[in-house]
Amino acid sequence: MFDWLFGKKDSASIAKDRLTIAIMSDRDSMNELPFMNEMKAEIVGVVKKYVGVRAVDIKKEVHGDLEALSIDVELDSSATKVN
Amino acid sequence: MGIVIAVISGKGGVGKTTATANLGLGIAMNDKSCIVVDFDIGQRNLDMILGLENRVVYDLVQVMDGDAKLKPSIIKSKVNENLHFLAASQSKDKTVLESKKVEKLVKELRESYDYVILDSPAGIESGFEHTIEFADAAIVVVNPEVSSIRDADRAIGILDSKSEKGRNGEEVAKYLIINRISAEMVESGEMLKSEDILDILNIKLVGKVPEDRGVIDASNQGKPVILDKKSHAGQAYVRIAGRLCGQKVDMKDVEISDKGLFKKFTGIFR
Repeated sequence: MFDWLFGKKDSASIAKDRLTIAIMSDRDSMNELPFMNEMKAEIVGVVKKYVGVRAVDIKKEVHGDLEALSIDVELDSSATKVN
Repeated sequence: MGIVIAVISGKGGVGKTTATANLGLGIAMNDKSCIVVDFDIGQRNLDMILGLENRVVYDLVQVMDGDAKLKPSIIKSKVNENLHFLAASQSKDKTVLESKKVEKLVKELRESYDYVILDSPAGIESGFEHTIEFADAAIVVVNPEVSSIRDADRAIGILDSKSEKGRNGEEVAKYLIINRISAEMVESGEMLKSEDILDILNIKLVGKVPEDRGVIDASNQGKPVILDKKSHAGQAYVRIAGRLCGQKVDMKDVEISDKGLFKKFTGIFR
């Protein structure tokens, strides 16, 4: 009962702190994947070998039981190499 | 035109089916016509909680596939004539649901009842998505416990993005039931307070249900606990059903134990 004297938190407040952080990161990761930036850079690298690239956008989509990555590559026509 | 309410939770085993059965009966006791539909395909349970398992002839999937007509598939409650019930399929898998068929069924039910309550499966997969797709509102059931609250938040996220209303930029009304509260544990700081849960989930509270042995006793008999006038959980469901029917019912604080109350009173005379 006098735990507060010794600075010990009750378990309900520990639960609240942990949940607040976990849920914040859950909400972010609904749209963002941890490896997103790295993967974007690699895709730009590969596509650039063939055509000019302006931007790459990757989204995670969930349709029922199916999860998919939708990758949009916006081309830069002025920089497109013509063979 | 009735209102369609999906009962959701994210995590399983938090009392979703019990809540569905009791709210359905509670609403019927308020003289409104109500149908409860078990969308938990493959894990049919609502029939047991309602005590109607021996009356099931046709199920939801047969109705949606056109193998059975809607009217003869609907089962009337033994305890209240305003309450009707449509069973889940036990043999099929929950991936059998199709958006178009769900939409048609929900539309038909909405035309014939004041309240249509859909008991969703646990999890956030396709069976869940189909249950929430055409709902006007959702009742989110949680236990005051970290995994339940976290999973509920994910389910709410999917509700907002995948329901027809959410896709059209409209808000799906969301109401929280905190189930299985132990007043003693809240008082001693071992269980999350309802304010904390509301802070985290950021939705409206519609009721708090205390932990109660009567709930299992009721399910043993197939008589929803709301019929047990002495049960604390049953009384909580009476209050929630009243709120859902538009009555103003004060929020009873189930987070203070009798011991806690006694302490408060004796404190006054010190």
